Amino acid sequence: MAPVDLAQNTLDGLMIGSSYALLAIGFTLIFGVMRRLNLAYGPTIMAGVYLGTAAFISFGAPSLVVLAIVIIGASLVGLYVERLCFRPFGEAARTASMVASFALWMQIEEAAMHMLPQHMNPFPPLLAAPPLEIGPLMLRADHLIMLAATLLLAGAVTYLLARTKLGLAIRAVIDQPRAAAIVGIHVERIMMLTFVLASAIGGFAGFLIAATDAQVTAMMGMWATTKGLVAMMLGGLGSVRGAIAGGLLLGVLEAHAQWFLGPQVRDMVAWGLLFVILAFWPGGLMGAKALDRTMAVGRRV
Amino acid sequence: MLDVQDIVTAYGKIEALKGVSLAAAEGRITCLLGPNGAGKTTLMYSIAGVLKPRRGAIRLGGVDITGQSPSAIVARGLALVPENRLVFPQMTVAENLEAGAYQRRDAAEVAVDIERMYARFPRLKERRTQLAGTLSGGEQQMLAVARALMSRPRILLMDEPSLGLAPLIVEEIFRIVGELNKDGVTIFLVEQNVHMALKVAHHFYLMEQGRVTFSGEPGKLAEDEVIQRAYLGTSRQASSHKTG
Repeated sequence: MAPVDLAQNTLDGLMIGSSYALLAIGFTLIFGVMRRLNLAYGPTIMAGVYLGTAAFISFGAPSLVVLAIVIIGASLVGLYVERLCFRPFGEAARTASMVASFALWMQIEEAAMHMLPQHMNPFPPLLAAPPLEIGPLMLRADHLIMLAATLLLAGAVTYLLARTKLGLAIRAVIDQPRAAAIVGIHVERIMMLTFVLASAIGGFAGFLIAATDAQVTAMMGMWATTKGLVAMMLGGLGSVRGAIAGGLLLGVLEAHAQWFLGPQVRDMVAWGLLFVILAFWPGGLMGAKALDRTMAVGRRV
Repeated sequence: MLDVQDIVTAYGKIEALKGVSLAAAEGRITCLLGPNGAGKTTLMYSIAGVLKPRRGAIRLGGVDITGQSPSAIVARGLALVPENRLVFPQMTVAENLEAGAYQRRDAAEVAVDIERMYARFPRLKERRTQLAGTLSGGEQQMLAVARALMSRPRILLMDEPSLGLAPLIVEEIFRIVGELNKDGVTIFLVEQNVHMALKVAHHFYLMEQGRVTFSGEPGKLAEDEVIQRAYLGTSRQASSHKTG
């Protein structure tokens, strides 16, 4: 167990974990305003990525155009999910929303596989620079870009929530939806905007992930839902800081597990950790209060 | 100012309001008293647009607001201090006040109003950076009132502002109600504290089982009679000869 391995794994984990963090931020925003789980979140992202890669395959669209298509595509599919699975049901019908979002997951996956029937599709890579060497450590340049983009976007989301009027409205809806309506906030509009914003963030994350892999399959939907869900639950429901911490933790843990125990065991370790954390800290590492609050509000309204 | 005509609001098949009519005159304090379950909070939420009445009409300053969204009604100059205060617990005191001014576009004036609220409620100034969920019940009530005032309402609806508070704080709340009214804010108040309510009210209504059963000025009905009917309700037969 050489220290250099530990350092290298931690570094790799932070890089991958930054994409998990982005997925979890989107997930947690949707959960925060809706108080309902959106299982179609990952497939929404996958649909955006598939639209982008379709443009890449058909017209050789450059990376920036692909990025725009992915983000806009994910936002529109997110809007579609919100209209069908969340808007028609109240908060009381959590199960209806969750099951409906599962149905849309299947539908989106089918549609994607009809659009691009090949199992694996190429995706434009970010850049083909050789890895950077820092002493004994190796760093992929595109991973560094992913980490930087994540930090930038996390900062932007934090700024939006903490300093803008829209952010104030989003937090008010998360905190106490009935009071938000009473002070004159258009709650349904804020819910929709947050949903679309979260889907766009997910699309951005999906672009980075697909670009570092240089390929994409329709399985990306399930992958993104499970990774985002685990990262969100680790950090705590409805907390942006928690989502970032949970994503990074999950990435680091997976990197170590893969190195020391092998790739087959990697996911098992992640799920095991989730189980342990939920058993002992049911609200997640940073979201115990968030969960209490959600349940308290649930009782009150 | 506020005119409610024959409102029916139902939860599923159960009618919580069975045709309520009442009015709150401009510049005055109007109180609504009645036992738990009479439908007082349902009425407040129906007026504020949170619940949609099935029938009837609500007019604010002569304009029909029946069935409008809460945000449209706030824009017309009505603010509600809801039952149980419903502050934003994970937001600071200052942010709660900013949220109260959500619809306003005059940022500079909003900042001035926040300072005015701090002058009126010094405790809130001390706690401006604290999360609202950590405040005491009385402080949360002050915050809920201040938050409602931040929209510069013409009429303020207050749903049981004294609920669960110590007597000294209840006195403080009612002193503020009187002050606000002197500043020209029309007030429509739901209360369980009959004694305090009758002290400040210009006009009051009694409500039982989804209906208004009495309307008059304080003094028209002996206080113990009001207390009995406000806390316990009475069978309609026993009270019918006294209803207006």
